Amino acid sequence: MQTKRTIFHNRWLPYLLLAPQLAITVIFFLWPAAQAVRQSFLREDAFGLKTEFVGLGNYLRLFSDPSYLNAFQVTAVFAVSVAALSMGLALLLAVAVDRVLRANQSYTTLLVWPYAVAPAVAGVLWWFLFNPTIGILPYALEQLGYDWNHNLDGTDAMILVVIAASWKQISYNFLFFVAGLQAIPQSLREAAAIDGAGPVERFFTVVFPLLSPTTFFLLVINVTYTMFETFAVIDAATEGGPSQATNILVYKVYRDGFVSLNLGSSAAQSVILMFIVIALTFVQFRWIERRVQY
Amino acid sequence: MARIDLDSVRKIYPGGVEAVKGVDLPIEDGGFVVLVGPSGCGKSTLLRMIAGLETISDGEIRIGGRRVNDAEPADRDIAMVFQNYALYPHMSVRQNLSYGLRNRRMARDEIARRVEETARILEIDAFLDRRPKALSGGQRQRVAMGRAIVREPAAFLFDEPLSNLDAKLRVQMRGEIKQLQRRLGTTSVYVTHDQLEAMTLADTLVVLNGGRIEQAGRPLDLYRHPDTTFVASFLGSPAMNLLSARVSGGDLRVGSLPLAARLPVPDGPVTAGLRPEAFRLLPDSTSGAFRLDYVEELGSTRLLHGHLEGQRLVCQMGIEHPLADRMTLDLDPEALHVFDAERGRRLDTAWQRAQIRSLA
Repeated sequence: MQTKRTIFHNRWLPYLLLAPQLAITVIFFLWPAAQAVRQSFLREDAFGLKTEFVGLGNYLRLFSDPSYLNAFQVTAVFAVSVAALSMGLALLLAVAVDRVLRANQSYTTLLVWPYAVAPAVAGVLWWFLFNPTIGILPYALEQLGYDWNHNLDGTDAMILVVIAASWKQISYNFLFFVAGLQAIPQSLREAAAIDGAGPVERFFTVVFPLLSPTTFFLLVINVTYTMFETFAVIDAATEGGPSQATNILVYKVYRDGFVSLNLGSSAAQSVILMFIVIALTFVQFRWIERRVQY
Repeated sequence: MARIDLDSVRKIYPGGVEAVKGVDLPIEDGGFVVLVGPSGCGKSTLLRMIAGLETISDGEIRIGGRRVNDAEPADRDIAMVFQNYALYPHMSVRQNLSYGLRNRRMARDEIARRVEETARILEIDAFLDRRPKALSGGQRQRVAMGRAIVREPAAFLFDEPLSNLDAKLRVQMRGEIKQLQRRLGTTSVYVTHDQLEAMTLADTLVVLNGGRIEQAGRPLDLYRHPDTTFVASFLGSPAMNLLSARVSGGDLRVGSLPLAARLPVPDGPVTAGLRPEAFRLLPDSTSGAFRLDYVEELGSTRLLHGHLEGQRLVCQMGIEHPLADRMTLDLDPEALHVFDAERGRRLDTAWQRAQIRSLA
């Protein structure tokens, strides 16, 4: 990419121009992060009357806490399920659009709408649809002989939040997949057709391998999304229950810190999450920004 | 190997645009047919219809006597070389070559044998394990050819395969394609917009214009005996001079200048065609009808650009000929082509036919 280079003659002007951005970063990101790191080494009582330095105590307790390890496991299941479901469906839709309606704008626009829905609204929407008492889907499932109740059944609850979180993300993935598919030269598919590959074979041997940069990019984005941005979906649909079945890491940070007022533990958990984000960001810069180009 | 027959083939796109308007073309087994024409003449569409990449709206295409209108591209026993090569970027050269064979479930040792042999013929064995990205334009071109050859198909289809190469490489690859086709004897259909490529490669040259065959035949026949002003101006570089002229009583005049006499052509306005290399200009500072505007030096020859009776005229001559501001035409009347002024069709005459026969 070509970068525009500007030369400033005034020594302070560049700093002045950068100041608003830097101020926002410092006040809203660096400062709270530093606070979290500091807090994670302290133990405080619920009323904030007594503070005690405990070193790595909060961290050590976390890793011997079964409910925290459970949250890790729940998060992994949740992240993998959402990524698989939302990317799989998005790819399916993108291929359909690419095959039938090359660059049909209106259809594409319609599919993008869910992305504009707030996560909390998405959570409530699916909560209603799946509500065991008034929802339409449990009624339909009951006709098929399945007794749906995400308030009691952990698996049902997980399925509910996975669907709610995926639904929102499909449109985003879809856009990237469509763009990726349109970037594959038509002549490659034609060459493969002449080379005797059927539509399915063509997809798996030519199209999908060429989509791999897009797929990898989306995988990282989706994992990041499910780990952090699905807080509202969980909060609106299940509140982490039943019995911790949908209590993902980021939701546990909130519960332990702001509901149970165990600030030290909550801070330690956010520091761990911070390291996960840093790792994901590193992966993204290291492999994706240096995009695979053919 | 097989012959290909096109019977009143038409292509009508949804929306009513008729890209190919009824083409009849028999292609002999082992023949090298070049489809040439300006962009939008339907040559690529025609090729893609043979390949099965475009549906056939009307008419029939047969490969080896078998109707293939509804056959999948894979079942037509053809191989195609694309303009942008269309190499699979995520596969090595070896995988690119073997992809079509693997899809056809060929035995592994047979695939290996064919890939090795093809690589040897095209001299690409040194980089069989490289990705296309790591190859130069010429090497990619060879791999694209290799992917066609390795299949040993009934016919090769070439879609402007040399247009992405630089001029020098293009001339070299042109020669190699010609040699390779002779050696393998595979029926080939080649699409290009470059008349020089078309002239040099073709056994049979087909000039297309507006979805119709303008003229088909051996390249030299088309060059010497163009049926229409379109073919006349399309083949040859620099292009044939086409002058507005008038015939009265068998005498052909451009403006007031008589060019030929006793032509067996009815009276009226005509278009007179003169190849730039088919006449000479002699200095004549007093009565020369040709006014020299400027000269282009080509090394062994030079192009004289000027006016004759207010019409542009180009002459190609050896550099030993003297130049002057005013010159007269030294013209063999047999080098003159006469076309209908309105429709551009050749006003065919017995003396011209006789001339063609004697040249052939």
